[in-house]
Amino acid sequence: MAGVQVGKRIIGADAPVTVGWENIGRVQGGPLKQAFFTYFQPVVLFALIAFWYYAPNEWALASVGIWIGLGFKVLLLALEWVNPRYRSWQLTWKEFATDLFYVGLGYTALRMISGYFGDDVMIEAIQGAMDWDKFTWFIGLPLLVQAILISMIFDFGQYWMHRGMHNWYPLWLTHAPHHYITQLNINKGAVGNPIELFLIGLGIGGFFDFLPRAFLIAGAFGMAVGTYQHINVRFNTPRWWRFIFNTTEHHSVHHAQDYEATRSNYSGTWILWDRLFGTCVDGEAELLGMEGGRRMDIGETMVFPFTQAWKDMKARREQRQGLGGASAPQLEPAE
Amino acid sequence: MTRLRVPYVEKIWRIEDSLVVEVPLTPDEAFARLDPLFQTDGTRYAIEGDTLGYLKTNPRAQDKLATFTSGTLRVEPAQGATRLTYQAASTALLLCFLAPLLFLFFAQVMEAANQWERAKAEASETAKKNKPDEAKDKPLPKLHPIDVMLGAPAPKDPKADKDKQKEPKEKFKTTPAYALAGLFFVLFLVGRVLEPWLLKRTFRQALTRPHGEAAMVDGGSDDPDPARAAPA
Repeated sequence: MAGVQVGKRIIGADAPVTVGWENIGRVQGGPLKQAFFTYFQPVVLFALIAFWYYAPNEWALASVGIWIGLGFKVLLLALEWVNPRYRSWQLTWKEFATDLFYVGLGYTALRMISGYFGDDVMIEAIQGAMDWDKFTWFIGLPLLVQAILISMIFDFGQYWMHRGMHNWYPLWLTHAPHHYITQLNINKGAVGNPIELFLIGLGIGGFFDFLPRAFLIAGAFGMAVGTYQHINVRFNTPRWWRFIFNTTEHHSVHHAQDYEATRSNYSGTWILWDRLFGTCVDGEAELLGMEGGRRMDIGETMVFPFTQAWKDMKARREQRQGLGGASAPQLEPAE
Repeated sequence: MTRLRVPYVEKIWRIEDSLVVEVPLTPDEAFARLDPLFQTDGTRYAIEGDTLGYLKTNPRAQDKLATFTSGTLRVEPAQGATRLTYQAASTALLLCFLAPLLFLFFAQVMEAANQWERAKAEASETAKKNKPDEAKDKPLPKLHPIDVMLGAPAPKDPKADKDKQKEPKEKFKTTPAYALAGLFFVLFLVGRVLEPWLLKRTFRQALTRPHGEAAMVDGGSDDPDPARAAPA
């Protein structure tokens, strides 16, 4: 496979990846369907921003945001059936049940762990030790600016954590299970080893003070943009949106079976970070996963960082001692 | 070796059913039509006379038999037609049935953590009372003039809220854990009805399909074909 040169890299040499926007599929169907799947994304985003901007204080609550989020996910699940991007990504009962298990872990076990060891706890400890108060630099700014700052600061942290996971082997071991997903569906973002999910959730936003309403507007960006990373819906996403925000197309490239393609599009919401740091690859891919698309089950996902680390250490020790044992193939070497 | 049977409990993860197709087929012909279902990654199978046994290890997501990872199929003639009798087992159904227990366990752990946090808070309450109220000193956050002009509601006074908040807040909300337990139970019921029906449909479609045509129905091939990498 020849691949396509993007900067200094060849994308699509190991497995098919469509590079660029020219050959991306379009929504098929009548004018109504075309219009719906063309304007759905921006309309939802602007509607959510407007809602949180003007909602009375009694409505502007995190709990309302959670209910909106749940309702939105149900709607997106329905859209996956109506207008799938690929039939080979169709959600099955087993896949849905598996994904729901990981979502459930996020709402229960992970929440408990984060409650005692998460970024809020760490930041509070740092602030206590240094006798710092929260930085109130942003609280006087317009709400939308505050919201964009919250979203971008969090995404900046996620970008570097994610990039670190693809470049430093110990971190990669925690992230690798997430790359064994072979299709994108609405809950696939939750699939992965709990250590990785804990690490990727860490942020530095807690150091800064913002208006509560700004947090809710920032949440709208996460919900109405970040959610589309893992989804099996074909949209005619506007060009300006693709330039600013992460899309399913970008994230499918990141999950492609092609090795070089996986080393791109690290951000969660703002693809601008990837454009800024030179890791953006515009395009899309259908064939996803690792080891030719091997599916990793829940049991293996839970223990993978430890078992793989043990295998690698053993192989290296054998190599050092000159035992001649065939070294276990490294999953994906760090740079 | 005799396998331990637990007749009623086994219904959680095991199914037994049969179907008749109006085509007279020998076992060899029937298994040839079903063959593509077993030509997938992680599948082992063996045929002995009129019986086929299969075992799938972590099948791919789009594998038509992904839910039922082991089973036996028997083909027999039935008055000018063919009867396929089969039994299959599903680890996924069993785990889905057990999942509510895990989430109920998480709910209990959260309850315990909440109790511990409450006790801790009560113990430190007296110490807190002696501390000056920092919220009182903080000025009320103001909206930027642009936001005032655009009509965004002003931030509420945290001190006014403080008077209202009588009930101590739980550190961990247990509602999601209970909701998930219920959701998995519903999902099990859906799966226990839907998946056997889909399996029967898959077998029927494969058997009635003219010989030589792929039996991987509905979703196309198991592996997405790069050439087919076009929008659905």
